[in-house]
Amino acid sequence: MAEFHLEMKVNGKPIVLDVDPGLRLLDVLRDILHLTGTKEGCGEGECGACSVILNGKLVDSCLVLAPQANGQEVITIEGIAQNGELDSLQKAFLEAGAVQCGYCTPGMILAAKVLLDHNSTPSRLEISKSISGNICRCTGYTKIIQAVEIAASRIATKEGADHA
Amino acid sequence: MKKRGYGIANMWYGIGNTANHNPSGAFVDILDDGTAIVLTGCADIGQGSTTVLAQIAAETLGINIEDVVVVAADTEVTPDAGATSASRQTYVSGNAVRLAAKNAREQVLAKASEELNIQAERLSIYQGQIWVGDNPSGVMIKEIITQCRSEGVLTLGHGSFDPVTTKLDSETGQGIPYATYAFATQVAEVEVDTETGIVEVKKIVAAHDVGKAINPQNVEGQIEGGCSMGIGYALLEEVVVKDGEIQGPGMSTYLIPTAMDVSEVYPIIIEEYEASGPYGAKGVGEPALVPTAAAIANAVADALGIRMYELPLTPERIIATIKRK
Ligand code: FES
Ligand code: FES
Repeated sequence: MAEFHLEMKVNGKPIVLDVDPGLRLLDVLRDILHLTGTKEGCGEGECGACSVILNGKLVDSCLVLAPQANGQEVITIEGIAQNGELDSLQKAFLEAGAVQCGYCTPGMILAAKVLLDHNSTPSRLEISKSISGNICRCTGYTKIIQAVEIAASRIATKEGADHA
Repeated sequence: MKKRGYGIANMWYGIGNTANHNPSGAFVDILDDGTAIVLTGCADIGQGSTTVLAQIAAETLGINIEDVVVVAADTEVTPDAGATSASRQTYVSGNAVRLAAKNAREQVLAKASEELNIQAERLSIYQGQIWVGDNPSGVMIKEIITQCRSEGVLTLGHGSFDPVTTKLDSETGQGIPYATYAFATQVAEVEVDTETGIVEVKKIVAAHDVGKAINPQNVEGQIEGGCSMGIGYALLEEVVVKDGEIQGPGMSTYLIPTAMDVSEVYPIIIEEYEASGPYGAKGVGEPALVPTAAAIANAVADALGIRMYELPLTPERIIATIKRK
C-alpha cells in the first residue's frame, strides 16, 4: 500500500513521516515516535488508556487512523511537563496517591487536563463524568478525583495570584 | 419508585497461601555512604509493596527512607519472595526485609560496639547515627561502615520468613491454614429504582483491621480499589462461559465500574497489632473486596424486602425478582 505522508505536531514539535495509512495514531505514537506513555488497553475505544489530546479534545488514539491526525496537533502525557517541571495534575496525582499500577494514569491525567482547561472549578460530578471514559481497575477512582480537586484548587489559587 | 436500603457484611480472610509453605527472602546491604539497598523478589503491581518494604528497612536500620533503594522482582539478582497474591507481601516479604535489615544492623552495631567500647545491646541507630541509650554518640554509621570495609567486613544482612501453618487433616479439615487473618466490616447504602431495576450504590463505609497500616495512604488506596471491584462484582461483572469459551472477552462486553459507577467510599483503618507481623502489619489486598458484594446485596434486600441469591444484581434480575413477588 502507498505510504501516507503525515505531517502533524506532537507535543509542540513538528513531525513529518511516511506511514502505512492503516496505522492507528496509537501505533505511530508508540512504535514510531517511541512515546510509550500512551498505553493500549482494549484497542476498541472502551478503556481510555490510549487517550491523547487532539486539537484540544480528548480522543482514544486507538480509534484514530494516522491520516486523520494529518495537520493536527497532538499532546501526549510526555508533553505536559513544562521545562522539566511536572504539570500540576501530575504533581497532584503523586501527592494524592492516585497512581497504583499506573496503566490508566496517562489517560486519566490528560482527561482531567482537558476538563480543567475548560472548567477550572469543576464539581465532583463533573470530574467523575470527565474521567468516566477512562477505566481504572486499581484505585476505585477516589484518589484520582481527589487529585483532580487538588490540581484545580492549585490552578485557581495561581490564577487568582496572577490576576492580582 | 426509588427505595433506599442499608446492608452490612463482615469477613475474615487468611493472609498467605493456604496450609502451605510460602516463604520470602530478602537481602539488605548497607553501603559505604550509610545508605542501603534492599533486594527482594516481591513484585509491586501497584499496591505499593516497594514503598512499604523501603519503609520497613528504613525503620529497622534507623536511616531515612530517602536513603533506601529497593531493587524488586529482578530474577537476576533478587531472592525469591513468592507471588504477589494471597494478600501476603506486606506480611511475608515485610517480615523477610525486617529480618534482613535487623541482621545488617546487628553487624554494624557489633563493629560500633568494638569501636566505642560499649556493649552492643546498649547501642541503636537513629537517623544514620549511632545512639547510646537515649543519647547520640556523635558517630555516624558511615564511619563504622568505613571501618568495616577497611577490615574487609561486609554489612550484608539476609532474612527469610515463612508463615507458620500446618497441613489440614484430610478427614476433619482441622489444622492451621494461615498464620494470621484480616478482618473487615463494610456497610453499603443503596438506592434501587423499582421501575428500571437499577441499583445505585450511594456510599460504602469500609472498616479494615490491617494490624498496622505501614503506609495509610496505600491502605486507603487498596480499600477504595477493592470496594470498586466489589461494586463491579455485585452489580456488573459476570463471567459467562459457553462451550469452554468466555462470552464477554472484551471491555465492551464485560463491563467494569467507571468513575460514574463508584460511590463515595469511606475507608476506616483499624490497627489491631499482629505480633507475628512486621511492625504489627498484616495484609489488606483481597480483604478489601471480600465483603462488598454481600453488603450491597443485603442493602438491596433491605430496600426491596426481597432477598436475591444470584450475582450480579443486574436490572433484569432485580425486575424479574420484583415481578415474582
Ligand atoms: S486502548 Fe483505546 S480505548 Fe482502550
Ligand atoms: S492505577 Fe491501575 S488501572 Fe488505574
